[in-house]
Amino acid sequence: EIYSSINQYTPNHKCFRKLVHLHKNKHINRPYWIYFSSPQQQKPALIESTEEFVFVERLIPPSRIPDPPKHAGPAPSGWTPPAETPPPLPYMIRRSRMHNIPVYTDLTHGNRKMTLVRKVEGDIWALEKDVKQFLQELTGKDMPTQVNEVTMTLRIKGHFDQELKSWLSSKGF
Amino acid sequence: MFRFSVAVFGRGVAKRFSSSFPAEGALPPNLQLPANLVDPSRLKRPPPPADCPLPLLRRCEAVVPAHLSPMQTWVESLQMEDGEPLGRAELHPDVFGVSPRIDILHDVEKWQRNYKRISYAHTKVRSEVRGGGKKPWRQKGSGRARHGSIRSPLWRGGGVSHGPRGPTSYYYMLPMKVRVQGLKVALSFKMAQDYLHVVDSLHIPTPDSQYLLDLIRRRHWGESVLIVDVAEEFPENILQAASDLKKVNLIPAIGLNVHSMLKHEAVVLTLETLKFLEDKLLWHDQRYTPLYPFKLPYRDFP
Repeated sequence: EIYSSINQYTPNHKCFRKLVHLHKNKHINRPYWIYFSSPQQQKPALIESTEEFVFVERLIPPSRIPDPPKHAGPAPSGWTPPAETPPPLPYMIRRSRMHNIPVYTDLTHGNRKMTLVRKVEGDIWALEKDVKQFLQELTGKDMPTQVNEVTMTLRIKGHFDQELKSWLSSKGF
Repeated sequence: MFRFSVAVFGRGVAKRFSSSFPAEGALPPNLQLPANLVDPSRLKRPPPPADCPLPLLRRCEAVVPAHLSPMQTWVESLQMEDGEPLGRAELHPDVFGVSPRIDILHDVEKWQRNYKRISYAHTKVRSEVRGGGKKPWRQKGSGRARHGSIRSPLWRGGGVSHGPRGPTSYYYMLPMKVRVQGLKVALSFKMAQDYLHVVDSLHIPTPDSQYLLDLIRRRHWGESVLIVDVAEEFPENILQAASDLKKVNLIPAIGLNVHSMLKHEAVVLTLETLKFLEDKLLWHDQRYTPLYPFKLPYRDFP
């Protein structure tokens, strides 16, 4: 009933009283467009266009992690890219999916510090020997290590992640 | 005296003990082999050598890591029963050459069996069994044991105290990456054990089941064969031929799972299936953690 009267509404001074009348009955919910619509106009023809969808497409996020840009030497953050050719060693340590060296620290029981080297391929015992020798030169002590041949990981007692990361990146992994 | 006797007799015991260890590869002298023993390593075709003249029909599209090289298999055809291979195909080592993790295979197989399981076993507790609200006889003076209800678990016809309670669901989800790794490990196992065969297409000349059986018997593929293709519509001939056979089954590539691969001895893939599997399985190695579920659109979803 209200809407049928609104169809004849024209936004000029003559119907100002009608506008005031509409405003008076505020308890009735009216759509906002009644104050802007012009009377007796034909509906505009629908135009379908897909050119504007580019603005939506560029907002959809990618799902793949991109390759890092080429740096000459270490990046300002300290990140070093892996060597072009893998080093000629009997083992290989791949980078993580975010292109970092897979050496992690672990803390269990509140006081048990461990370092974990993941993503090892090839002869893991040769890597263990080299790591033990490196830590012997570093600390002067023989650090206990655990080799897991099933998951191809190496656990070392104590936190040595920074030293091992720099050692592995210097090797070219 | 005792130490002397141990030293003297211990030498003889050690000699007899060591003779039970055979030399590397030597068979024990009292071994009896059956006459119809089949040695599968002599029957199957060896993998293609480096200087093979046949053309390389398929190269790996994905980037192969620098320290690994693609693996090669024969590409065969199903048109002729006793045909020679048409060419070779390259397989990505991160899908078909991963480390043999039996524990992951076990986990994925166990998950496949149990996540769908709902056990409907249900027993009634003493409160649910009909009756048993009234104290059967007075507490003292009747001479019988004291009881509060006739449906307690001590009574015949009473409720079960710790029985199965209602439908229980054994649903759980393994992480997506574990399930993906299970598929890769299963494919690697099939590849390593010479049970993986690559075929250019699934067109066969007749819809006869016997043709398929003769082909499998002649090429020594194994007892049971799982044939995988990317398209959901298979050629009519092979559909009809495999429909009567119990041990030869067709599945689309999206339906490939660890249980089916372990159940069937041989797995036959087409060249398009190889591309599909490599795309889908290698994407998980270089994807972000999901911002929103992968069912919704992403820019470069495989």
